[in-house]
Amino acid sequence: MNVDQCVHCGLCLTACPTYEATGLEMESPRGRLVLLNNWAANANFQSRDAAQWLDDCLDCRACESACPSNIPTGHLVEEWRSTVPLGTANRRLLLGLSQAVGSPRGLKRLQRLIRIGQNPLGRWALSKLGSLLSIATGDVLDGLPPSILPGLSRESLTTNMPNADTMMFVGCIMDAVYNQSNEHTAALLRLAGHTVTVPSNQVCCGALHRHGGDPATTRRLAKANIKAYEATGAQQVVVNAAGCGTTLKEYPTLFESGSEWHFRAISFSRAVRDVIQTLAERPLAQLTQQSTTITVHDACHHTAQNLNQSTRALLERAGFSIREMPNSTRCCGSAGVYNLTHPSMGRTLAQQKVSDIPPETQIVAAANPGCILQIQAGTRHYGRNTVTVRHPIDLAYDAYRAAGYLGGVADAT
Amino acid sequence: MQPKWMTSIEEIVGQRHVLTQPEALATYAQDGYTLSREVPLAVILPGSTSEVQAVMKVLSRHGVPVVARGAGTSLSGGAIPVAGSVVLHFSRMRQIHHIDWENRLVEVDPGVVNQDISRAVASEGFFYAPDPSSQRVCTIGGNFAENSGGPHCLKYGVTVNHIVMADIVLANGNLRRLGNSTADPDGPDWLGLLIGSEGTLGIATRLWLRITQRPIDSTTVLALFDHIDEASYAVSEIIAAGIIPAAMEMMDGLTISAVERGAYPVGYPTDLAAVLLIELDGEPGLTEHETQETLHRLALRQVRQVVKAQNATETNLWWANRKTAFGAMGLISPRYYVQDGVIPRHVLPDALKTIRTISQDYGIRIANVFHAGDGNLHPLLLYDNHDKSEVERVKQAGSDILDYCISRGGSITGEHGIGLEKISEMASQFNRQELAAQRAIKDAFDPTQLLNPGKLLPMPGRCIDYAN
Repeated sequence: MNVDQCVHCGLCLTACPTYEATGLEMESPRGRLVLLNNWAANANFQSRDAAQWLDDCLDCRACESACPSNIPTGHLVEEWRSTVPLGTANRRLLLGLSQAVGSPRGLKRLQRLIRIGQNPLGRWALSKLGSLLSIATGDVLDGLPPSILPGLSRESLTTNMPNADTMMFVGCIMDAVYNQSNEHTAALLRLAGHTVTVPSNQVCCGALHRHGGDPATTRRLAKANIKAYEATGAQQVVVNAAGCGTTLKEYPTLFESGSEWHFRAISFSRAVRDVIQTLAERPLAQLTQQSTTITVHDACHHTAQNLNQSTRALLERAGFSIREMPNSTRCCGSAGVYNLTHPSMGRTLAQQKVSDIPPETQIVAAANPGCILQIQAGTRHYGRNTVTVRHPIDLAYDAYRAAGYLGGVADAT
Repeated sequence: MQPKWMTSIEEIVGQRHVLTQPEALATYAQDGYTLSREVPLAVILPGSTSEVQAVMKVLSRHGVPVVARGAGTSLSGGAIPVAGSVVLHFSRMRQIHHIDWENRLVEVDPGVVNQDISRAVASEGFFYAPDPSSQRVCTIGGNFAENSGGPHCLKYGVTVNHIVMADIVLANGNLRRLGNSTADPDGPDWLGLLIGSEGTLGIATRLWLRITQRPIDSTTVLALFDHIDEASYAVSEIIAAGIIPAAMEMMDGLTISAVERGAYPVGYPTDLAAVLLIELDGEPGLTEHETQETLHRLALRQVRQVVKAQNATETNLWWANRKTAFGAMGLISPRYYVQDGVIPRHVLPDALKTIRTISQDYGIRIANVFHAGDGNLHPLLLYDNHDKSEVERVKQAGSDILDYCISRGGSITGEHGIGLEKISEMASQFNRQELAAQRAIKDAFDPTQLLNPGKLLPMPGRCIDYAN
């Protein structure tokens, strides 16, 4: 698979959020393939501008779904990022982040920092610090949930339960910031009849490192996760963050074909399911329809895993009515840490996303922590203060709890 | 040092809307036609009709040629820059300004994407009829320039039947409004002349389009064949029976093998020789009758299987599969060269035989996908761009196919345009007087040859050579 396979048909153009935002050929997948080709062929084309246009790629994979020739433009840009020197591609955040998300201790520090950012003085200090490093921390802090429980979800959920059929993958940001969503995921899995184990030695999936051009770290993290899974004896690994899901499913591509780790990665990736998939295979009870109307933003990596219909099916079983937003599959601009490293493009995309939320709708479902942060911050910046963005699992959890499942008390009717 | 005219243009559109970095310009060197490339001097992104006028005034004063570009999906090189030219990229002008439901008209910018128009009017049961396979990206400005068709043009007509009025910026920067909102030409049909002129006579900066009511009933049928000739005969017989399907498309075995590996596999058997995709629409009773008649005609031929679509999801998949056929060639070949010849429907079996012979003679793989209903062939000549001899053989084989189309009373282009690609075949299609008349029109609109020069019409010297 290479750059040269592109036949210039252009069918990718309107799928690409950066082309839609800028109208520039070099910010389109077809244009990026030309840039990549020239970058490899001629040193004169290895300019700062070319690097910027390549690095603007969100890695959202929308072009890959649109391409009749199956050209993996996102992967090719990722590969390019890993070959260029630090500073050519925007990887300022990578070192600090890989420290933070790579271990439970780092995650706790990150959580402490974020909790500081939730009070006004702390927010002021952190956005000042961010702007010194030209990182748009302020944008992201505005998207945080109103309260974050102290502690990581892996601590509250840890059961090294023998013979569990399901290993739950807790992620990094999900573990530290959306720890409640992880608890809700475990509860719904149990409601669906699964036994859940949460091994404490699992680590970050490595998506941020891989997208940032550091596949070596991703490989190290992948090995740790594969080992943790093998030790549980579970039949499936369930994940609730769309971005982590695709990365876990793509683990085999990290290892040399035919090697022992490649083989182990294949068995692992076959066991990976998004929680939406698991709950579609063993559906929960149908609840009566409630009056709440919600809209759904389809995370890029949910679209890539073909989960958009199942997400709607889960929410409808939980009694919600869905009012579709236009372009629900267009990237919101979060894209891992993209909103931090590319604030201007990130803001343009957030604004587009917010303007697509139907006016009478107050709840947006989004199945990826980055999207939740980004769109929530966007609603505050672009005049939709009353909108809340929530993980579909949280919405389903609340509905089943209110209906008397999960230890809740049914509303008197 | 940049030339003075460039500075003037930066003042008109703003510096950030003029691209001059070589890395950026390289991405504009091609469109969907990959046998030619040329890097422009600059790319200009105008934001309004008045900016286009001002830019054209500067460029005409300095004699700089201009190539207008929408999504750059032309298959004949219509949007490929010419040497020493600038590109006007219309991606910033992409607003739908007004929907006039009463008169069924939509007022749009040239950079609006074809499919977005159908989306904008779908809620009231309308659609914009011309549907090129690139409709999810191609723009109305480009459709105007190329007089684009599409599968459903068999019944609904091509772009010229759906644009009623347009604002045109001429080579000297003057603005003219052509046509009128009643779509009844007063005097000569200037608008009709401009549509399909491939950006050589003027640049459309605002367009008024007709929207069409969605048919009440619609049926989609797939017919799978073991012999391509049987499929060809079936096409002629269905039309001869007085049925005008909304669309009637054919793909051969090689094409099927490519699309089945692409983004929208239907699950066709791997050993098929051809598939016909037929859509019938209209009033419920009539559609039902025409469907029965079509099924009857198909059954008279040696058909392996006929399938009716059960729901919209299935119909959409079949169409997505068909509409990505060109792009899917990337899966079975490094490059492809698509032809666009037209033949009378009844010679279809003979045309396919001829293409097979040409394929063998030149040692070039040819996949066939076409709008069978109106005899518009799209042979896809597969080649490797690194193989110089193969590139030459592909050009020659393509030329032979076009000569054949002309010899059978057909035409060298159904909908993709002449562009750079078929310019030398113009002299086979038209005689000297006909070419001179077209040249006179060009000179009247664009005396200094600034608008997309070197496209559509052979240069005067060359046309005499060809005519001789």
